[in-house]
Amino acid sequence: MRLLIASTTKPYTTATTPQPPESSVNHTEVSHFSALAASWWDPYGSSRLLHLMNPLRHDFLRRCLSASPPDPAQKLDILDIGCGGGIFAESAARLSMAQSVTAIDPTPECIAVAKRHQRSDPLLMEAGRLNYLQTSIEELHNHTTTANSAGARGDREMKQYDIITLFEVIEHIRRPYPFLSSILPHLKPGGWLIGSTIARHPVSWFTTKLMAEDVLGLVPRGTHEWSQYLIPGEIREWARREAELNTSEGLGWRTMGVVYVPGIGWREVRGSEEVGNYFFGVRKRGDGV
Amino acid sequence: MASTALLRRVLALPPHLRRSVYSSATTYHGASQPDIYDVVCIGGGPVGLSFVSALRSHPSTSALRVALIDSQDLSTARTTKDTETFSNRCSSLTPASLRFLKQIGAWEHAKKERTQPYHAMDVWDGVSGSKIHFDSVDQQQTGLLDAVAEMIPGSRFQASRRKYEVEDVGVATMCENANTTSALLQRLHELDEERSKDRLIFDMLEKTRVESIDLGPESKDKESLDLSQWPIVTTSHGRIAARLLVGADGANSPVRQFADIPSPGWDYNQHGVVATLDLDQQSTAQNLRTAYQRFLPTGPVALLPLPGNKASLVWSTTPQHAAKLKTLSRPDFTAAVNAAFRLMPLAWRENATPAASTGLPRNFPRIASVQEGSIASFPLRMRHADTYTGHRIALIGDAAHTIHPLAGQGLNLGLADAEYLAQRIAYGVDHGMDVGSCWTLDGYNSDRWAKNNAVIGVVDKLSKIYGVGSGPVVWGRSAGVEVLERLGTLKGWMMGAAAGVK
Repeated sequence: MRLLIASTTKPYTTATTPQPPESSVNHTEVSHFSALAASWWDPYGSSRLLHLMNPLRHDFLRRCLSASPPDPAQKLDILDIGCGGGIFAESAARLSMAQSVTAIDPTPECIAVAKRHQRSDPLLMEAGRLNYLQTSIEELHNHTTTANSAGARGDREMKQYDIITLFEVIEHIRRPYPFLSSILPHLKPGGWLIGSTIARHPVSWFTTKLMAEDVLGLVPRGTHEWSQYLIPGEIREWARREAELNTSEGLGWRTMGVVYVPGIGWREVRGSEEVGNYFFGVRKRGDGV
Repeated sequence: MASTALLRRVLALPPHLRRSVYSSATTYHGASQPDIYDVVCIGGGPVGLSFVSALRSHPSTSALRVALIDSQDLSTARTTKDTETFSNRCSSLTPASLRFLKQIGAWEHAKKERTQPYHAMDVWDGVSGSKIHFDSVDQQQTGLLDAVAEMIPGSRFQASRRKYEVEDVGVATMCENANTTSALLQRLHELDEERSKDRLIFDMLEKTRVESIDLGPESKDKESLDLSQWPIVTTSHGRIAARLLVGADGANSPVRQFADIPSPGWDYNQHGVVATLDLDQQSTAQNLRTAYQRFLPTGPVALLPLPGNKASLVWSTTPQHAAKLKTLSRPDFTAAVNAAFRLMPLAWRENATPAASTGLPRNFPRIASVQEGSIASFPLRMRHADTYTGHRIALIGDAAHTIHPLAGQGLNLGLADAEYLAQRIAYGVDHGMDVGSCWTLDGYNSDRWAKNNAVIGVVDKLSKIYGVGSGPVVWGRSAGVEVLERLGTLKGWMMGAAAGVK
């Protein structure tokens, strides 16, 4: 449900004066999410389903990390792309395993809502724990590298993250594969890229377009563009083309299908990843692998 | 220059000491920033203490910063060493409550020689003499066939009644509230020793009076911390802000009033008279004990076993009777209690009243005397809060519900509240939730409210049905009790519910 960018082809090199990336933020999407901004933190508003889904994001994240559990003493840096009003970003920043959370979104109203809500929690106001940036992934390095300005502009290092999350984002992106590839340089070796989206299937058209938007009104009309949905196999195909990603089942690639049952909530349902909402995780190969 | 040196020395301290230097400095200057806690529990009774112990014992919640506030000096909450005297404030702990107290590491600190498990319960009707016998055997699946067989006159039903003698699990365990409280305090002390390095995590603010509860101030600008939706507790010792404020503060809960949660109900126009009694039968730890309850038109009278020859009395009766009973001499009070269990309402001479006709159970003990100074009474009420939660608010125990004591469920419901709320908070911490938000608390409210409401409803209706002295209600309830007595399966289900079996 958050919105993103995509499709720059500019490599993240140490070129002298990086040209501004071709910003392909979908402006229709930006205005759609601006209008929704006020309801992000209303428990009975249009973001209720996202709030209810949030615990499953943590369950899936923990399942991915269980492939090789991180040392509890070593705290993790997390990047949340398309953070919206900050539902996941806030929850990630509260985890005992989190060192810092950087959360980005191109929609100014979302960042304003997220920052306002952050102020109601003293824990999240601790310096460095949760940083919101109104930016796209292509521009992120301009924000995160200026702080450690040691050295000339040309050889500065890009900050990398242990976990990068991408929840309910790629279904809003016109050219998802270049966008996904543009994330990888931000990921530490051995780190996980974890996301969730909706599979393109007649069932998901029925549930997310016809029922959720038109009939039941669970989410606002125009939230989803069904033709942009990706099925798990397509994301895995992309991952296989990226040499630095590990796509072996369980160790480097995971999925989990979830179904919303009215009156009960979100539940994991095996096999449902092919027809509806699902999580995916893919791991960057470690230094030694 | 001097201040720079001081600052450097403060910064060299470990973080928790640095924080304490900082907070004492700000307190000294009277700064307006309150001390911030994750969970603040008001009320240090068994329910509040078990809730805090559960949080401190669970790995997910042991790092939360927790404060417990009570106006009393909790260190004095100890049972007397004298094994001959027992407190008149006792509770019947169900197996589910015991499991919870064991799980949080508190039960091992309880003085076992002061607790008394009982294995059966005899309940009879003071007007018609019809009776019902519960024992832990009924909890097993006896099946429909057994139930039907038991309906046949002359069946092996009587023989099966004493099957429980091979059973280990009792119906419930009598325990003085002071014993439970003291066990929980010892457990908290033990947890503090284990984690003495992070002293600041848990604060026991005893002898601390809550002066007011308000919402925090509006923030000064658009950048700084905004506590305007946080409850701020002003105590006799300072101000603290609560991410989650838990009211374990009893029937007149100030937390519930702050949250503006209505708690409708009614008064029974009855008082509960409690006392500690001496019986004419001496029991040892090996003896199987029975609890007794007789329904009189004025209310139920219950005799609950304590170790040795002791027993706890709970007699629900009219306020006038209660006032009268409290003025009686100890021998007269003893005679009145014996009469309450043994006589028919209009037959005053015991030798003219055949025991069988009153429904008096076999082996029912005679009360020998009453412990000096143990007679007390309190008004009986039914109250149930409309909801147990609000933004950054949760109610547990009597703050959420007050119930008629006839089923001995009050404290057990409160302990179940404490257990479930602590579990929800652990789930919230594991999933990065704000533990004061509805995303954490809704699950507690929806689960506990419905379960408590079912128990409260049944107990309320029982008390009303048995408050009637004659006519169709008596015939109806007698028939109902007789049928219940014969239907082992249904009784087993009822016992499971009463014992809190999940």
